[in-house]
Amino acid sequence: MKILITQVLLLCSIVIYSQTGTITGRVIGTDGIPILGVNVILVNTHYGTATDSKGFFELKNVPLGKYTIQFSAIGYQKKIIENYDVKDINPPLKIVMQEQAIETPQIVVSATKFEQKKEDLTVSTSIIQPDFIARKNFTTFDDVLRYVSGVQMTLDQVSIRGSSGYSKGAGTRVLVAIDGVPLYSGDTGDIVWEMIPLTDIERVEVIKGPASSLYGSTAIGGVINIITKSSSKNPITQIMTYAGVYDKSKYDSWNWSNNYRTFYGFGFSHSNSVNKLGYTISLKKLENSGYRENDFSERYLSYAKLNFSIDSSNTFSFLINNLIMNRGNFLYWKDSRNALVPKDEDNGNTIRSNRWFLSLIYNHSLSKKSALQFKSSFYRTYFEGRGIEVTTSTANLFRNELIGNFRFTDSFIITVGGEFSYAHVKSNIFANPNFFNAGMYLQAEYKGIDKLIVTTGIRYDYIKLDTLSGASAVTPKFGLNYKLSKNIILRASMGTGFRAPTPAEVFTTAGVGGGVNVVQNPDLKSERSLSFEAGALIKYNSNLSFDMAFFQTDYENFIEPNLLKSGDIKFINLPKARIQGYELVTEWNVLPQILTLKASYNYLWARDLQLHKAMKYRPRNVLYVNFQYYPYPFDFGIDFRYWSKVEEIDNLLVEPPLALVVDGYKRVPVYVTDINIGYNFFISTIPAKVFLNIKNLFNYYYVEFIGNVAPLRNISLDLELFF
Amino acid sequence: MKKYLLIFLFSSVVFIARCDKGIEPNPLPESNGTTGFAGTITFSGNWPDSVKLTLLVVFKNKLQSAQDFGSPNLSYAIGPIPYGATIYNYNSVDNSYSSLSTLDAGSYNYVVVAQSTKETISLDRKDWFVAGVYCVNGNQSQPATLIIEKGKMTQNVNINVDFNNPPPQPPGG
Repeated sequence: MKILITQVLLLCSIVIYSQTGTITGRVIGTDGIPILGVNVILVNTHYGTATDSKGFFELKNVPLGKYTIQFSAIGYQKKIIENYDVKDINPPLKIVMQEQAIETPQIVVSATKFEQKKEDLTVSTSIIQPDFIARKNFTTFDDVLRYVSGVQMTLDQVSIRGSSGYSKGAGTRVLVAIDGVPLYSGDTGDIVWEMIPLTDIERVEVIKGPASSLYGSTAIGGVINIITKSSSKNPITQIMTYAGVYDKSKYDSWNWSNNYRTFYGFGFSHSNSVNKLGYTISLKKLENSGYRENDFSERYLSYAKLNFSIDSSNTFSFLINNLIMNRGNFLYWKDSRNALVPKDEDNGNTIRSNRWFLSLIYNHSLSKKSALQFKSSFYRTYFEGRGIEVTTSTANLFRNELIGNFRFTDSFIITVGGEFSYAHVKSNIFANPNFFNAGMYLQAEYKGIDKLIVTTGIRYDYIKLDTLSGASAVTPKFGLNYKLSKNIILRASMGTGFRAPTPAEVFTTAGVGGGVNVVQNPDLKSERSLSFEAGALIKYNSNLSFDMAFFQTDYENFIEPNLLKSGDIKFINLPKARIQGYELVTEWNVLPQILTLKASYNYLWARDLQLHKAMKYRPRNVLYVNFQYYPYPFDFGIDFRYWSKVEEIDNLLVEPPLALVVDGYKRVPVYVTDINIGYNFFISTIPAKVFLNIKNLFNYYYVEFIGNVAPLRNISLDLELFF
Repeated sequence: MKKYLLIFLFSSVVFIARCDKGIEPNPLPESNGTTGFAGTITFSGNWPDSVKLTLLVVFKNKLQSAQDFGSPNLSYAIGPIPYGATIYNYNSVDNSYSSLSTLDAGSYNYVVVAQSTKETISLDRKDWFVAGVYCVNGNQSQPATLIIEKGKMTQNVNINVDFNNPPPQPPGG
């Protein structure tokens, strides 16, 4: 009997044992990074677990049968698998969770040099998220900016709210920074967009309107601050590759090549942390054969970032970035019948360049409420232009800044700082000038009055450009933010700005191609501005918001390139100029997390008050519309851009007797439509994303600058793998 | 709401698609009574390293001797054609090699793409190599006659240059 009972019990235990199974799997985000602490539960049972630091989970001894499995984590959309059949042996689950825009306020650091809620700002701001960049397969950062409200690109020159027209790559009125460290070159003062590591961006903050009172000279038109990603806590490797092709033109005379023109790229990045040291490295090779003749480019981009925490109060961040580039130099078309071919005398012009950017950021917490930050950077740029003559320039730019944030009470914050920069240029076209700049600033924010935030600040700069006499500038600002109600926030600001001429604008003596020469102007003065902005953010509900702003900037001694009757270009000061306008931005989550619509409209009235005419290369009306539909794992998007026809151009360049650019008067309104289609999928156990992009869908032909047709319709496929 | 959004999007796409096609090439200057010709030169194969100057040259008659290479047989030249070009669209008005020379109406029996090892113009036949010929049915040994009428632009004077398969060379080279 005992034997029988034992046998029955043993049999029962075997049956019971065999009637359970184990569910295993891994949970990652759409970026491929494992998610820690995801709750994995079988609905209506007591079975549950959570993912470990590498995203793995295991649910043991689950009775066989069908269950509903729910995955949930803060900041992610809940994921549910219904009717999951638990068997003896179950294959590992692969779960990808999508981030959810939870109702936490967006944080901005660029407007005040300390972290602040976007809705507390006194100035207009746009934030670009990295998923927008990944989705559209951008290859250089300037293409990203073509989709940002209030920002306009004219070829490679950026303008915020009309601050710049086009000045042949010399000088910028928008300060572009990586982690708050400026990225303008020491000689031309321009931005090399190819330097910016697109796959390592955490977010981009765009401050619209002058920020000279905090950032100095080059921020007279605004700030674009690129915040790079911190190193991953767990090892993550990303491999990216893309390939694309330009369509042919519908005009036979434009099809200068027998072959389809292509572009492709390949790269990888790896990020990890070892104890207190975090690191990210990435290498990329990008090639573009160009849709225009002599418009090819070949780029090698390497990027590394190290984060090191000595203790909870002291952290270092070191960044090194290198770009080696060889490209053709397309200046102007031959004529409208040969719009994709350069002028004969410019054909074959090339530029080789090598650029290094290094920055070191040291953070030290004085207390829970006060901190110091030291930023040091070195930017070395070298280029060699090969055309009728060889042009070379090497510029070394050193920069140091000390920032202190002191939070005396919860409602009173003081920011103080000082910086100096020094540049030395060795060139056969800019002479060999030195450039020195020192600045000090003080800013206060007060929140002590109900619903009101007051900010005020002032900066002093001293600038010395080689043999020219030194110049100084004081730039105060004042801003208010008033929360009229929970859903209506008003803001207003007034600020001053200044910009010193760059060595290129003062000292250039060179032929820039196309029969155009640039001549020196040692009498060039710094420009100054006075700006005013008033705006309102209206939240109709949690899914629909409207942001509107009116702005006006008056400039004195505005620096512009001017074509002389001799055919030479000389940078001159326009005595008085005024830019006015308004901006309307709306964001509508039609179906939250699934269907969104963003639209913005800018009206700009920019004019030379002395000559009583519009300023050059500034469209009066600009409209952006973005529609995105993402039922995971699919992703569909449509982008539309409209710019009205530019009113004023360099007429002397296109009209007799010079007529250096044949048919250069041709310009039209801009209508560009792009579509993107994405899909998240797995290759074996490796998460992967693929995107198909068609840019300039309707193959619309337009120019941003005279004699330069913008890219034809092009199709590209982008693949990203995460390990 | 979704219905209105879809209608809006569809209308937008239709609107955008109906927008004009943007910048267009100017028509060739034939309507204003200009006398001349236009066409496309297509290059295939690798450009020789030694080439310093490439022109499209119009001769009144075929070259029977080295002396025929110079004037008065040499009637007109177009270029210079950029080194390494794959396609060169031209017309005799905008791309004249010399603004002083004019092209009269008439028949021209030898129209070629000629390449020189010298950067400056030379009238010495030995300095030149014929790389492509305006010809009949693609047969480069059968030069075609270019006919130019007064006040008209003769179109499609197209020439193929294949560096791997050069045409027969005229005497004197």
